[in-house]
Amino acid sequence: MRILVCIKQINDNGDMNRFDEFALEEALKIKEKAEKQQQTPGNSVSVDVITAGKSNSFKIIRRAFGMGADSGFLIVLKTKEKATEYIPPFTIASLLSAVADKMHYDLILTGIMSQDMMHGQTGPMLAELLNFPCATGVTKIRFPVKNNFIQVERELENGFIECLEIKLPALLTIQAGINIPRYPSLSNLLAAEQKTIMTRKETDIFPHRGGVKEFYVSIETPEKTRDGLVLEGDLAGRVNQLLNFFKKHDLN
Amino acid sequence: MKQIIVIAEIFQGLIRPVTWELAGTALRIAELEADSKYLVNDRGKGQNDKKKNIRRQKKSGNIQLQKELKSRIRIIVPGEDPLPVAEKIAEHTSMDVICLKIKGLETYDCDAYKTCLFRVISEMDVVSHVLIAHTSQGRDFGFGLGVKLNAASISGVNSIFSDDDGLVYSRAVYGNEKNMMIRPAPDIPVVLTIMPGMFRDNIMNNLNNRTMEKGKITVCEIPFNGSYPLKKTKPVSDTGVDTDSAEVENIHVKGKLCQKSTAYPCQFASRIIHGQILRKACGNKALKGAKIIVSAGRGIGEKDGLKEIFEFAECFSSSAVGASRPLVDMGWIGYDHQVGITGAEVSPRLYIACGISGSSQHIAGMKGSEIVVSINKNPDAPIFRHSDICIIADVHEFIKEFLKQR
Repeated sequence: MRILVCIKQINDNGDMNRFDEFALEEALKIKEKAEKQQQTPGNSVSVDVITAGKSNSFKIIRRAFGMGADSGFLIVLKTKEKATEYIPPFTIASLLSAVADKMHYDLILTGIMSQDMMHGQTGPMLAELLNFPCATGVTKIRFPVKNNFIQVERELENGFIECLEIKLPALLTIQAGINIPRYPSLSNLLAAEQKTIMTRKETDIFPHRGGVKEFYVSIETPEKTRDGLVLEGDLAGRVNQLLNFFKKHDLN
Repeated sequence: MKQIIVIAEIFQGLIRPVTWELAGTALRIAELEADSKYLVNDRGKGQNDKKKNIRRQKKSGNIQLQKELKSRIRIIVPGEDPLPVAEKIAEHTSMDVICLKIKGLETYDCDAYKTCLFRVISEMDVVSHVLIAHTSQGRDFGFGLGVKLNAASISGVNSIFSDDDGLVYSRAVYGNEKNMMIRPAPDIPVVLTIMPGMFRDNIMNNLNNRTMEKGKITVCEIPFNGSYPLKKTKPVSDTGVDTDSAEVENIHVKGKLCQKSTAYPCQFASRIIHGQILRKACGNKALKGAKIIVSAGRGIGEKDGLKEIFEFAECFSSSAVGASRPLVDMGWIGYDHQVGITGAEVSPRLYIACGISGSSQHIAGMKGSEIVVSINKNPDAPIFRHSDICIIADVHEFIKEFLKQR
């Protein structure tokens, strides 16, 4: 089984989107389970990662190698270094699909959203472009796969959980809390130095960024919903103010 | 006439209340669009004036239905047999409803929703907006539907403004610390997923105050069996959409004239098999009944920090300990302590947020609290915008001092 995990670098330090860490961990767990159950040959699992970002995004590919990913793709975006540049999720999904389409993956995992832009759109859009069925907010994946269907649970509101079986190839977006992501291991990180990152430029895939349907206007600090009195003074003084406030409002 | 489409959210045969918010949001959009022609088109004014203009629009947000709207609002209600639900929605909103009967659809199915909604919407005249709830259901099918429709797509919309160039949509970014304003390209449809709760206040009243007659119901039938039909969508530069036209005929449903369009040549395969819907736990009774809730977030640093939180809570009578989602995810504390959209919605007399940054999911769960006190190291933490008293300090040190003084 070939698994692809879509990951995103959220800053120049090479930190991975928190939700993508859960997705990658889940893929690695599937791989480890497959290795344990290696009775049936041809049952091996490979885990590739892909990211689209600034040229320094090779850092998270290395990090993913450190966690145990087998190979990595980097699509270097045609981007200005401006922090507020808005890249529509559809552009990212299109680029990812152009690479993923040729690789014939059985399972694609992404985080439920990115922690910076918080769209949650790239995964479902990628599924649509590849014509894969998809499930979002997945909180459990059962392995092994039965009859080419993978069993998952996805999170609904108010503590409800929906059980699904999804036909492979499929795309799942992973909800936080599904596992506890591992740290990159030193031995993996050292081995990662030898690995090549397959790098392509956005302009080589799509020469012009067509089909942009949304535009950035501005970024603003949201309005307050409550007054927010900030307590001043040293720690002891502020504790004292708070105690007085509680006393005054009969909160005890 | 432009059309604003609302997709009703139906869960286990029941109308989710967010549906009313979507209907109300549609009205707001229709009103802003009708209004925008009165705006002075003065592009020489510069950025600052433009911002003021946005603000002014926001303040005048109340919807007056007497105003002549330039858009038509229609609510699509999908389901196996959604007619009773559709009737209710038509009655409650006075809006026109499309009862989308998807034969064989026992429960929500991503593929069936995307395919059938695409069929119906792509055959309508000039659809300008498709409004979907930003919920586990809406987030599941909405963006794939957007791709099929070749539409702009904006998720988690928490506010809508209008400026000289049209409508602008606000959405939270950077862990709820900022809002980003996005403008969709003109003359194409835009799919919006609307954050539940953000449009509740002035919209519900408007809906409730309507004493107009029931909306018209159109019944539309699509079978659900066979194979997922549509050819693969093209990335980035796709322009063409598949539009087999359906036959439309008039039928009578319960004595009312309805339009019925039948027999789409449309086949599906179940790529998704639906199992049970389970319930993890039914909220925390202690949380719901508590007068004072002391809640912990990632700012407490390590699992041991929870001991202090419990000690802190014990300082009050009738108190309970809550937690933000990440602590539950990390397994530090049980799910029954989780406050937020996916946990418990609480409204105590006093809510003390300790080291909680304040994701929109968390805020939605505690905003009904009478008094909110927040302790956080980060002065920019979003929770401070929703607090009555803000304490910028290390949680651990502050609680230690509190326990000492009392």
